[in-house]
Amino acid sequence: MATFRIKRYNPEKQPEAYYEDFDLDIPSGATLLDCINLIKWTKDGSLSYRMSCRSAICGSCGMKANGHALLACQRQASSLLDKDGTVTIEPLGNMKPIKDLVVDFKPFWEKIDRIKPYLQPGEEPPPEKERTQSPEQFRLIDDTSTCIMCGNCYSDCNTLEVDGNFLGPAALAKAQRFVSDSRDQNTHERVRELSKPGGIWDCTHCAECVERCPKPARPFYRIKEIMTVALEEGVHNNNGARHALSFTRSVKASGRLNENQLPVESMGYFNIKGLLELVPVGLRMLLKGKIPPIIHKSIDDVKDVKRIFKDLKQ
Amino acid sequence: MIEHDVVIVGAGLAGMRAALEVCRDLDVALLTKVYPSRSHSGAAQGGIAASLANSEDDSWEEHMFDTVKGGDYLSDQDAVEEYVKSASRVIYELEHMGCVFSRTPDGRIAQRSFGGHSRPRACFSADRTGHAILHALHEQVMKNSRSIKVYSEWFMHSLIIEDGQCRGVVVSDVRTGAVEVIQAKAVVFATGGYGRAFQITTNAFASTADGVLAAFNSGIPLEDAEFVQFHPSGLYRQGILFSEAARGEGGYLLNGLGKRFMEKYAPERMELAPRDIVARAEQSEIDAGRGVNGEDFIHLDLRHLGEARIMERLPQIRQLGIDFISVDCVKEPLPIQPTAHYSMGGIPTDKFGAVVMDAEGTRVNGFFAAGECACVSVHGANRLGTNSLLDAVVFGERAGRSALEYAKSVASPSVNESREKTRVLSQFEEIFQREGSESYNDIRNEMKVVMTAKCGVFRDAESLAQCIEKIKALQVRYKKGKVTDKGRLFNTELYEIIELGNMLKMAEIISTAALARKESRGGHFRSDFPKRNDVDFLHHSLVYPSDGDGLELKTKPVVITRHQPAERTY
Amino acid sequence: MKFALFTGCVAHGATRELMVSTKLAAETLGIDFVEMKSAACCGAGVVSEKSPLLADALNARTIALAEAQGLDLVTICSTCQGQLKKTECHINGDEEYKKKINHLLSDGGHQYDGHKSRIKHFSNILASPEGMQLLKEKVTRPLKGLKCAAFYGCYVLRPSELSEFDDPDNPTALEDIFTALGATPVYYPSRTKCCGFPIVMMNKKASLEMAGNALLDAVESGADCVVTGCPLCHLNLDSYQPEIDKLLKKKYAIPVLHLPQLVALALGHTPKELEMDKHIVSTAKVNHILASQ
Repeated sequence: MATFRIKRYNPEKQPEAYYEDFDLDIPSGATLLDCINLIKWTKDGSLSYRMSCRSAICGSCGMKANGHALLACQRQASSLLDKDGTVTIEPLGNMKPIKDLVVDFKPFWEKIDRIKPYLQPGEEPPPEKERTQSPEQFRLIDDTSTCIMCGNCYSDCNTLEVDGNFLGPAALAKAQRFVSDSRDQNTHERVRELSKPGGIWDCTHCAECVERCPKPARPFYRIKEIMTVALEEGVHNNNGARHALSFTRSVKASGRLNENQLPVESMGYFNIKGLLELVPVGLRMLLKGKIPPIIHKSIDDVKDVKRIFKDLKQ
Repeated sequence: MIEHDVVIVGAGLAGMRAALEVCRDLDVALLTKVYPSRSHSGAAQGGIAASLANSEDDSWEEHMFDTVKGGDYLSDQDAVEEYVKSASRVIYELEHMGCVFSRTPDGRIAQRSFGGHSRPRACFSADRTGHAILHALHEQVMKNSRSIKVYSEWFMHSLIIEDGQCRGVVVSDVRTGAVEVIQAKAVVFATGGYGRAFQITTNAFASTADGVLAAFNSGIPLEDAEFVQFHPSGLYRQGILFSEAARGEGGYLLNGLGKRFMEKYAPERMELAPRDIVARAEQSEIDAGRGVNGEDFIHLDLRHLGEARIMERLPQIRQLGIDFISVDCVKEPLPIQPTAHYSMGGIPTDKFGAVVMDAEGTRVNGFFAAGECACVSVHGANRLGTNSLLDAVVFGERAGRSALEYAKSVASPSVNESREKTRVLSQFEEIFQREGSESYNDIRNEMKVVMTAKCGVFRDAESLAQCIEKIKALQVRYKKGKVTDKGRLFNTELYEIIELGNMLKMAEIISTAALARKESRGGHFRSDFPKRNDVDFLHHSLVYPSDGDGLELKTKPVVITRHQPAERTY
Repeated sequence: MKFALFTGCVAHGATRELMVSTKLAAETLGIDFVEMKSAACCGAGVVSEKSPLLADALNARTIALAEAQGLDLVTICSTCQGQLKKTECHINGDEEYKKKINHLLSDGGHQYDGHKSRIKHFSNILASPEGMQLLKEKVTRPLKGLKCAAFYGCYVLRPSELSEFDDPDNPTALEDIFTALGATPVYYPSRTKCCGFPIVMMNKKASLEMAGNALLDAVESGADCVVTGCPLCHLNLDSYQPEIDKLLKKKYAIPVLHLPQLVALALGHTPKELEMDKHIVSTAKVNHILASQ
């Protein structure tokens, strides 16, 4: 006998959410969705959640189990039980609950909309047949195109927890779908937009989206790919790009990070407000003797590191 | 009251393709009970057919012949001809929209073999072709959001037809439970199939006959309802789809003796015979006790393809096996059985997507349908794999264009809003007030079991009579069900009850049409009449509602142009 | 036990107390750490933004250096650990890529094999059966009554397909070490979350709020201190704590220790030796609890 501890919420009845336990014998091979269906159909018909294809392609049944987002149809229920035989089910995070496990996807879709989620092939009329695209070019958009918009990455994104303005992993992965599509002619404009606040450089590298993604889409990798394109496209006038360039320059020069230079160069030498923001933490560290050595020392054999940079034309 | 020029119900491939057509000139409402990207079109895996000839010579003529033969000569050949001729163009259009396709080494759309197609004709995006097209169309819908208003998570309850003219639909917002009328000059249905009436099915929980039943309840007949396709490779017990592409790429079917049994049933095409033939072969092996370990499944063996090819061409299938049954098809064969997959039948339309009432092709003004919910009929008695995505795109476009032209030619019709709303509200009320003790879960399960057992791959007069009797008893019990949730907010129980009511009626229609067709053809196999009978049954069936809860059966001739019915061997 | 020590940049810069305490802890445990003086920065997931190949080449070079020494490689930073593992995963299993990388390295006389040296975080060594046995033998001052909240740092956990550290959702390595040191682990949801450091230059408010939420979670779970295996987390959780207080209108005052500091305390070293006075947030609370034993 397993216990499904489900977070219930029905503002028609009472304003606060609460947890309700349902005991169930898990049928052999049953997925979490199978079990939740059994609970709804045999124990409490008022339990609300979304589901449709039950084969991990429609993206409806995202929810949290034991604190982490997953597709209920994709996981064996028995694998989710803790040592007391309990699994805790909650709605996806970073979105407003509507009822029980149903959350409001409106902001999610609005952000998808914001990245201009459609091919921009330029003005020329399309050819009579298909546009050609090599298998290598196809591979650049193969993984991202597996996204099923389930919202699991959005739910567990660490940046979104504190900044609702962040586009979020799904929208950025969708953006990479076009940034890296050989048929799209708007790459520069796209990466320029995506480099603004709320875009790629607000990703905090937590990689929760990689863990939660039920498909090969893996948004964090896609975000990094956009960053590389943005730097190649010369979109450098923002802290994120300056940070990456300064960091790389520093490794090239000395084989290691120059911690004194990096913050200043990230802000930009003419960004007075940004530079002033660095003062308090700098002062605190200075007072404690934590400021890195003013004379930046290179690693031994830095020549070899420089050679690698040179060979790679970096 | 909500007003739009055109309302489209269903946002899968057909619905979205139709919306893109209508939005060129008019304002369109696109209604879906899920979200567009959650539509079941996205579950299609293997490919979309077109004679692009990218890897081997091909022609629309060959595509047409394969389709007609595959459909056991029940297809309307005038429609098939236009359909296959459009195929290349619509696929290039999808590619131009941005659809992601797997490619040949020289960068063209890659194509592979599929059951019943004599040439490698399936254009594909790994093993998620439906998903790729669905998202490409969704992208275009988002691009055109100024003229396409999407109503996600809205449920369509009924069609408003007055004085022979379609005037809109009655709908409700799942989130709030609010009932609304959407008035429109034209209505397009793209509501998909109804495989959920069966126990073993590939279909999503959302595939529940809401659209076809709304049409039927307005007095429109359903065509060829007896023709349900059973897909040969459903995951054992669950029915989840393992694409035919697995066999297209060279996969074997093995019985319990480890033998490739298809050599007995289709010696030439082997595993790549049409689905009806392969599904029957599998069921015959299972029924003869030659399932694996004597159980109700056989094996789909991909091991000889190797990990690299599986990862390139069939990655999703591999993941499904690992996630759902912990079987890695690189190392072990997959347990499969036939699974209800596709409805060849549906709302009768002409080749322009206009809904027709009778054998003479009398149109219902302002009402159009496309995709799986419609019966044009291009698939006849059995659809070939990869022809359904093509159907959805070709006829989605046609229905959209027809609706656009029609809507431009008429004034806004009047609708009695309060009467229409009251009908649906009183249906809600009636359900809420049921005080019975019957479990909807039991009723649904019993329906699904009897449909798979008595109206499945093999049928006969006795099993079908039992099936109909059982379904009728379930319809009575349905009225005495127990309801838990009487709230308005996101009440999924209410919608599931309404869907179950629709499916019970649909199950009766399917089994009644199956009982009347005393021959075997395509996906409909009568053990008591194992031969095709062109003398008595080379016609479509039409099931009409008749007084009260009754059904009335009529027939409609098949359009035969290029290919006279001939013996069908593979 | 002998390892090639990859110190990372920050242990020589803004968190020199990490270097000091690592050396003391290793010495007392009798573990031989040979510092890799010609290894380049791991790139911190930032160099790969400029060029993924460049980042992999530099890290492959580092791994090759350890391989040439015939030693397993140890890191004292979750970020370094994550980057080196990522490179290893990228290259191993892709022969073409490996050839390309080795072609680049060969001019410097390096050869990446990929299977000769294992890449371990200091906590991996301590949490291994041998490490646990060693702690059992060497702990002279069990940290009784000290409630420690582990803060893992993202890179060591995620993406788990590239890091192979521990269960990414329910890691126990740090808590197991706390227990072996006689301290009491405190389990709280934020222990596997992000500290926000990677975006402190781009979106300071969000970055500090992330750190603040984690600190609050630790405080509310009753922790006396946070212990991290990542100096970058340490920077955000400790150096920025006064600003976090101001932003969130709170006063956390929760000390943040480097894992080697905690270990060395249990081995009998003093807070002073471990340069705990260099922290921005006073560690007096920890000193007090230990003194009152």
